[in-house]
Amino acid sequence: MAGTSKGEVLLQLKHVTKSFGGLTAVDSIDLEVRKGEIFSIIGPNGAGKTTVFNLITGIYQPTSGEIIFNGSSLKNLSPDRVLRRGIARTFQNIRLFNNMTIMENAMVGQHPFIPSDLFSVTFRLPNYRAAEKKAHNRALQLLSFFGSELVFRKEEYAANLAYAFRRRLEIVRALGSRPKLLLLDEPTAGMNDAETAEAIKYIQRLRQEFDLTILLIEHKLQVTMGISDRIAVLDYGRKIAEGLPAEIQHNDLVIEAYLGRKVEGA
Amino acid sequence: MIVLASTSSGIFIQTMVNGITLGAVYALVALGYTIVYGIVELINFAHGDVFMWSTAITLVVLNSMHVSTAVYGFTLIGLLLLMIVIGAVVSGTLNVVIERLAYRPLRKAPRLAPLIAAIGVSFILENIAELWLGASGISYPDFFPNGGIVLGDVTIQYIDVVVVVLTVGLMYGLNMLVRSTKMGKAMRATAQDPEAAALMGVDINQTISFAFLVGGVLAGVAGVFYSLVIPVYAYNVGFELGLIAFTAAVLGGIGNITGAMAGGFLIGVIKALATNYLPNGSDLSDAVVFAILVLVLALRPSGLLGQQVPDKV
Amino acid sequence: MSASPSHFQQKMQNPLKSLGLGKKIGDFLNNTKFLNRSLSWYLTGWRAGIFWGLVALFLPQLLSLSSNFLDPTYFAPNVLLLDAILCGIYVMLALGLNIVVGYAGLLDLGYVAFFVIGSYTVAFATSGIIRNIHSQVVTIPAISFWAAIPLAALIAGFMGVLLGAPTLRLRGDYLAIVTLGFGEIVPIVIKDVPFFYGALGFQVPPAPVINTPFGQVDFGNPLDFSAFYYLTLAVIILIVMFNILLRNSSIGRAWIAIREDELAASASGVNLVRIKLMAFGLGAAIGGIGGVFNGVMTSSISYDQFSFQVSISVLIMIVLGGIGSIPGVILGAILLRFIDVYVISTISTMLQTNIALANPANPFHFLVSFNLNTTKFLIFGLILLLMIILRPQGIVPNKRRQLELQGVGLAPEELSVVGEIEREESGASAPPDSVEGLGDI
Repeated sequence: MAGTSKGEVLLQLKHVTKSFGGLTAVDSIDLEVRKGEIFSIIGPNGAGKTTVFNLITGIYQPTSGEIIFNGSSLKNLSPDRVLRRGIARTFQNIRLFNNMTIMENAMVGQHPFIPSDLFSVTFRLPNYRAAEKKAHNRALQLLSFFGSELVFRKEEYAANLAYAFRRRLEIVRALGSRPKLLLLDEPTAGMNDAETAEAIKYIQRLRQEFDLTILLIEHKLQVTMGISDRIAVLDYGRKIAEGLPAEIQHNDLVIEAYLGRKVEGA
Repeated sequence: MIVLASTSSGIFIQTMVNGITLGAVYALVALGYTIVYGIVELINFAHGDVFMWSTAITLVVLNSMHVSTAVYGFTLIGLLLLMIVIGAVVSGTLNVVIERLAYRPLRKAPRLAPLIAAIGVSFILENIAELWLGASGISYPDFFPNGGIVLGDVTIQYIDVVVVVLTVGLMYGLNMLVRSTKMGKAMRATAQDPEAAALMGVDINQTISFAFLVGGVLAGVAGVFYSLVIPVYAYNVGFELGLIAFTAAVLGGIGNITGAMAGGFLIGVIKALATNYLPNGSDLSDAVVFAILVLVLALRPSGLLGQQVPDKV
Repeated sequence: MSASPSHFQQKMQNPLKSLGLGKKIGDFLNNTKFLNRSLSWYLTGWRAGIFWGLVALFLPQLLSLSSNFLDPTYFAPNVLLLDAILCGIYVMLALGLNIVVGYAGLLDLGYVAFFVIGSYTVAFATSGIIRNIHSQVVTIPAISFWAAIPLAALIAGFMGVLLGAPTLRLRGDYLAIVTLGFGEIVPIVIKDVPFFYGALGFQVPPAPVINTPFGQVDFGNPLDFSAFYYLTLAVIILIVMFNILLRNSSIGRAWIAIREDELAASASGVNLVRIKLMAFGLGAAIGGIGGVFNGVMTSSISYDQFSFQVSISVLIMIVLGGIGSIPGVILGAILLRFIDVYVISTISTMLQTNIALANPANPFHFLVSFNLNTTKFLIFGLILLLMIILRPQGIVPNKRRQLELQGVGLAPEELSVVGEIEREESGASAPPDSVEGLGDI
């Protein structure tokens, strides 16, 4: 597989800590994601996985530590600036713009590439019109990545979409910004087996077709073990293990912290 | 009953004393904002008018009892307690009814909707009062005797002492209520995560109603205190006082009960000083309070005593 | 903590809702026929646009016909035209505030501040007169009325940005209270700060006379307001076009996005502060233009004309007509002005001059002394509250807003309000029960 152990480091977390008041949600985490990898973060609920995503995407700022992407620090960047650097994401609880059409959702994702200064917009200057047209075409192209359904229904409101397609549309929106790194927060949550199998396929296709590095949070072992190049395990905000899927599967700490509990809960 | 001393240091200390007394009133009203905001994340714009209705009703009751001069001894204690109870019942009930009729149906609506509803309620409450008792100020029967503790140049009125002591007592009680009682725990749980609280068997509607009740009761008591310190009723007093008290709540960190108290006293003192020492101070002190509001929001939106909390993402 | 609306699963009965007002308005609009067409036909679609455009274009002529059936001592055509112009100024304000509230979803409760700034700008700039700290008159170079319009827009917009910059990064409800405070403070500052000496008031020179190839046009003629009326109309049309251009653009998309879900918008590359500031500044600038027209039209301005009530009235216009809907907010402004200027005073006059009521034996005799003007804001408050609870989408809903506000708890069948509107705007089916993401504005 591509870049299992070697390769250029794309994203690096150095001793990243985040505390809220007295609660330390993420505790001195180190992480290295290499170009072209599919890297999974797993761990029980409340382990701090989504907080790590929020830290990377600029929704939170680390209490201490540093996040480096593509050679430069993401310190004090707001989410939109992080996106412009090339990191896009989806959300665990799908945050689509429900009252926008499918097409508009796909267009919003390309916001950084369309002029939004008053002058260009009001007078519909050529650069604005060209960018809108280009964004429209690219939106169609991205929507068709998931087959014809989203394209056919492009003028419908996103709220009308079925669950699995909502997840897909969120990925389309994220791809609009032409990211180098895509963060997927539980991309198969709430999906049945068939849908999950399909999701596994398109995540792999995403990496190939868009030349992406993918960081994902996932609960389903079927997914993480099947597609990850490497896996990190979090528990109580700490990284307790990291390695190849096979290694993780047999790590005692992991079994105790995560797998064991998971089986009990299931 | 604002008294002014003659020497400059005396004036300063007297201003501080007057500020602290009004600060107690602001603190009580600020608590209503903070408690409600903490639970439903709504700025209850009508809260100042809920406060005003306590002053209006107690004014009418006092007039109907033909109280017009100071009373003493047990009569004073009885009358004071009666007014406090009436004010508390009026404002508490009003606040609960408002929540039920105007805010509850909008709980699922976009954030803008309940805020706009709150503006509407504020308008309605104010204008009903104007229709009822008129637009001009009415002097409030000042049944609390004059006089106080004289310390050189400075006079601490008895009413100041009563207001501050009772306010601090109420706040202590509120703290106990929130910390130790079952209802208090339900309130805190709902504030943190309404969905989880509901799953754990907390009756969300009842808890929210209770929060509005507590906020209203405190505003009602504040209405009586305010009227005894500044014995003039005005239908629109709630608007300005609401804005000041909200600033106090923000200053202390909205959602933070101790913060609201501290903020109330602090704003009281600052406003009193601004009123006294600025040209056109009685007008411009409002501008000062507003400037504080903007500064706090811009520089430290979590307030002086607030702490950063994670947003649910 | 964002209030995700799924918290409250239990069905809430609302005593007010049992009035069924939301549905009644929709039924009324659909079922009331005028010249064989339903009222909703007159309110939506391009045909309605042409119809009302023609009415607006020929309003001065229509009003001069009115003297045939209205008593000109009470309803002189020129006075009616003046009312129309003042109403037009409110239409401008409503369109401006609609950018802030309707498009970007920010609540500005101190919109009057920008109205004040516009009014004073035109007063100072076109008269060339200010007062110094000793209340003495000082002359400054005067500019023309035409130059004052963009100047006022710039100054008001700049003040909007200045106020917004520190506060727009805060959550929406804090912004509401800061703007509320700002709206209160600006008149106080004008009253008390030397230089403005607002307490004394200011005279505003009338709008100028211009020479055209077709003869002189006097915009300031108090005996015939038609020229100024057409100027007002032209500016309104420009503002409407501006609104439409913005709404259907990358900026408009970003506004909808932040209104629905700030965090997701930010994560999609929308710079929140910039895009909000843009809405706030543009709204403020339009408020400033409204102020210019107000200053010229009322000719004498003083601080006490600019109360909190003005801000809220404009908000009520938007909510009444339909948040985010251009025809809606125009209708809202006209309707509220109509209620304000005609309905309330007419009812008061009727009560005071009714012969039967004048008899002290009449049980309703007390109504004689009933001045509805004192209840005006009570009525306004009731309109605001009832609309936001029972028909939050307004009389002429914006399609998208209607979907969003569905979270307000109306049953879907109650929401298919204006049937014709729905059919015209390609009836997308109602969204599923989930109202995710609607919690945040």
